Amino acid sequence: MSGFEIIVEGFMRALQILFSGDQEILGITLLSLRVSLTATLLGAAFGIPIGFLVARRDFHGKSVVTTTINTLMGLPPVVVGLVVYLFLSASGPLGFLRLLYTPEAMIIAQMILTFPIVCGITISSILSLSPKLKDTLASLSAPPSWEARVLLNESKLGLITAIIAAFGAAISEVGAIMMVGGNLLGYTRALTTAIMLYTNMGEFATAIALGIILLLIAFGVNLFLTYLQMRSRIRRTT
Amino acid sequence: MSSTNKILVIFVVAVVVVVASLTVVYTYNPAPQRLIIATTTSTVDTGLLDYLKPYFDNKFNANMTWLYLGTGQALQVASRGDADILLVHDRVRECAFIASGNGTLRVTAMYNDFIIVGPASDPANARGTNATAAMINIAQAGASGTATFVSRGDNSGTNALEIRLWTKAGISTNGTWYVSTGSGMAPTIRVANEKGGYTISDRGTFYKLQSTMNTTLSLVILCENDTSLLNPYGILLLNSTKYPNIKSDLATSFLLFMISEQGQSLIGNFTVNGKQLFYPIYGNPESIGLPSENATVTYLNSLLKSRGLE
Repeated sequence: MSGFEIIVEGFMRALQILFSGDQEILGITLLSLRVSLTATLLGAAFGIPIGFLVARRDFHGKSVVTTTINTLMGLPPVVVGLVVYLFLSASGPLGFLRLLYTPEAMIIAQMILTFPIVCGITISSILSLSPKLKDTLASLSAPPSWEARVLLNESKLGLITAIIAAFGAAISEVGAIMMVGGNLLGYTRALTTAIMLYTNMGEFATAIALGIILLLIAFGVNLFLTYLQMRSRIRRTT
Repeated sequence: MSSTNKILVIFVVAVVVVVASLTVVYTYNPAPQRLIIATTTSTVDTGLLDYLKPYFDNKFNANMTWLYLGTGQALQVASRGDADILLVHDRVRECAFIASGNGTLRVTAMYNDFIIVGPASDPANARGTNATAAMINIAQAGASGTATFVSRGDNSGTNALEIRLWTKAGISTNGTWYVSTGSGMAPTIRVANEKGGYTISDRGTFYKLQSTMNTTLSLVILCENDTSLLNPYGILLLNSTKYPNIKSDLATSFLLFMISEQGQSLIGNFTVNGKQLFYPIYGNPESIGLPSENATVTYLNSLLKSRGLE
């Protein structure tokens, strides 16, 4: 079978799976969504406030902190996986939590990946806001909570971009969740780790089918986020 | 509130509700006990564990899962207390694992054999020779630039056997003809396939890939049925005193299931494309030239009897 035929067969298999509601694949898909959405939300819950503070406050070593966060945006997932594995392993410092090979461990690993992405993009989008706006806020001596609301609202485009980037990194990542999740059938097997397994077993069509499902999910989520982005842009320009 | 904000709020609330409800469902569903087997790539790649899972799960109300590792990594993971039981294939290191006190019992459960595979044109003339001669021929052809050998290079059981064969043949594997993939058996076969190279595989994984890849797999079996290519699989119980958190009861059940009459006949009946991939051998390792395991077998037989699993 040629490579092209396998891709076509994979596409047909994907349609078949989508319409037949295969329980195993449905479970794998839901797990991927649950892990990556939670990791993205948690990453944003920490990344946006911390990014805001870093961008707004002047403190000693600010450039070092910013550079560090920007560097961590490119953290290799396998390294994160290895470190989280060693911490969560039964003989590791956090072994008593019994979290290794659970979806929670996968969320922790992916959160470590999404946090710097959200944080870094938040910093740059707040820093790139018009200085006039900041001056106005300062001259009004606006209370900090009000100031935060205005600035975050003005940088909404950037924040949505941050969430898109973070979710994209999480849902497509394989190295970290393979190591801390263990790819256990029906429990921690996600789309990306299942694709690796099926590829290893030479079942390319199923692997391609899962890849197509992964793409459809990423497309759906991004479509929604982009819609929000467009709306906020239209409102700003009119 | 602007309509964009409303949508954002609705979105966040929806996601939180979905995540929370999924977590509740996952947490409060009284799930069967999960067994984590640290195993070698061949038992997974062939589909053997997928095939055994429903029988074991039903019998013991369990949820059998496994970590897909090479034998070296599986032993490493188990020695950290991160798995409940071992199903691996490197007798030398298995015995060392027991001797170090990490494990309490080892038994040979099944076997198959290794085969040397390569391109049908066989530029190294490995066909029909014994394993040592084949390795020498491959190395010589490699040195003259007409052959490539693709190694697992991942410290797995297959990798250990390969290194033993090189040592036995007195060959150093330094050279561009020797490629190391650092990955599982099936990926390594696929690399050898792409490069038109030679490699050593367990028979099961090779048959499985033949059935899934059909004509795209052009490698053929060149060297087989050599006693030095025997591939016994051992099951190892871990030391529950050293690793108090492992599910040692369920692990024992798994071992007993595998050596019980039912388990042994299931293993023997497992086929891919009509070919048997694993041979049950519990209680009779002498028949393939392995040392006797009489003491262990007597103990396990009594355990089988007391649990009504004969």
